[in-house]
Amino acid sequence: MTKQQPLIQVKNLHLYFGSFHALKNVSVDFNAGELIGLVGDNGAGKTTLIRVLCGIHAPTKGQVFFDGKKVERFHPKLAIDQGIETIQQSVGLCDNLSIARNFYLGREPVKRVFGIPFLDLGKMRAKSSRIIRQFGLRENVSADDEVEMLSGGERQSIKIGRAVEFKNRVVIMDEPTNHLSVREREHVNELAVQLKEQGLLVIYITHDIFQVHKLADRIVIMENGEKVADANTDSMSAEALEDVIRQGGRMVEKREAV
Amino acid sequence: MALSAAKPLIRRHTEIGIFLIGAILIVIFASTSDGRWANLYNIGTIMQVTATLGLMSLGVAIVIGTGEIDISVGSTFGMGALAYLWLAARVDPAIAAIAAIAVGAAIGYLNGLLITRTRTPSLIITLGTLMIFRGISIALTDGFSFSIPYAARKGWSYFLLGGGDLLGFNTALFWLIGAFAVLIMVLKTMPFGNRLLAVGGSAESAHSRGVRVDRIKLSAFVVCGILAAFAGALEAGKLGFADGSMGRLMELQSIASCVLGGCLLAGGRISLIGALMGAFVLSSIQSYLVVTGVQPQWFILILGVIVVAAAYGDKSLRQWAIKR
Repeated sequence: MTKQQPLIQVKNLHLYFGSFHALKNVSVDFNAGELIGLVGDNGAGKTTLIRVLCGIHAPTKGQVFFDGKKVERFHPKLAIDQGIETIQQSVGLCDNLSIARNFYLGREPVKRVFGIPFLDLGKMRAKSSRIIRQFGLRENVSADDEVEMLSGGERQSIKIGRAVEFKNRVVIMDEPTNHLSVREREHVNELAVQLKEQGLLVIYITHDIFQVHKLADRIVIMENGEKVADANTDSMSAEALEDVIRQGGRMVEKREAV
Repeated sequence: MALSAAKPLIRRHTEIGIFLIGAILIVIFASTSDGRWANLYNIGTIMQVTATLGLMSLGVAIVIGTGEIDISVGSTFGMGALAYLWLAARVDPAIAAIAAIAVGAAIGYLNGLLITRTRTPSLIITLGTLMIFRGISIALTDGFSFSIPYAARKGWSYFLLGGGDLLGFNTALFWLIGAFAVLIMVLKTMPFGNRLLAVGGSAESAHSRGVRVDRIKLSAFVVCGILAAFAGALEAGKLGFADGSMGRLMELQSIASCVLGGCLLAGGRISLIGALMGAFVLSSIQSYLVVTGVQPQWFILILGVIVVAAAYGDKSLRQWAIKR
């Protein structure tokens, strides 16, 4: 891989929740045009790390650079404005709002009347339902229906559709295939590769090392809030990486002198 | 089967419950009061009370929409009334009303700032400010009341600010209709309304989508403060005087109006028309007790019983409607 400036660079990152040390001295580079699998057990710190990248948590110590510039303030709005789209696992949808309103939440298209912004509801409905249908929303569900009424898979399809629609420079997917059928899962995985091929940085979080090994260029493994492995998929097999996870990352220091 | 067809309707229109209650009460009140309740003069009085209580309830509903609560509105109402009366005796009532609105905005801003900066539950913060501004009102009036001299009770602006009737109704009613129209438009058709309800539905999710949650909450408290203080100014314009206890217990009535009207206290689901209907029902009960000669102290007891019964009924109705 040619040496280029990383799109996102994380340097010596620490994050505490009260006295709990959630991220411990994490340093990792993410390049544009790369599909990175972020793997680890529950509680390893994967989601916490990406929540820093998408602005939900601010780090306690350490730096994040985006496009070579140090990130000074952390807020999801700023991350979104920079072009970072995230498919969050447990947050991102408001049950009380309709599909169309959720889809455009925070970036609603408006029509101005005498300078006053009014929601462009027609566009919101038509576009959101067209996009989400590609990801498994049933035909008899309307864009005006509340998200509360939807199944887990349909909720996931809204988040995926939304990230694809607004994709810009980075797409972060936190367990994107949860609640999805086999066919929809394949579709999402193909999509991740397509986005990468379009030059975006894709960060794909999963438990399933075998699934992501097939797609990713590079695998980053986390354990107990630390990065324990960072290897290109062509230099390390899925089995070897699974070993690392099974050993709780202890083997890694010896094996990985990259 | 016909009943289950109503499910989506009930799910979307949480105010159906209060309209049913309202319809039943109107029939009972009209048929048992010998014409003393259902006459134009009495309906006009009910509408006047509904107008000021309704304005407050609209503000409280907006705050409830964000998942917070504002119980300081009774004192804000009183502060608005005092600010209006003190100035209306000296300058044009229109300027006095603007000053009352500014007082309400300031109280709302203070509430919002304390809640978003200290991350303290709004229930306890606004309980505190309820007492603080009640204390200030009583101290300001020093046990007496503020009033506008009869000579000054004239002119267009005085007339339009609760001091006169238009088409048989106190002008406050038209302010209520105006405020309702503006708020429903903001809530349903503007980005701010979408974000406000999102914050109430899930503040965490709204935040993750880039919504400035604290700003939305702060704005909701400011709107609520403005409406409560303006309602106080209109009430003061109607009466021409007010003492330090003006608006006492109205915070409870306005919250009851919202809850009866189908606003979910957990946030994210509110009905402005329901809140207004709630205010109308409460005003009607009050008026019924007066015209039938029931002692007014029963009002609060009966109000309590109705709130408990309606809250339970509404919850059962919604649970039934959510089942597929």
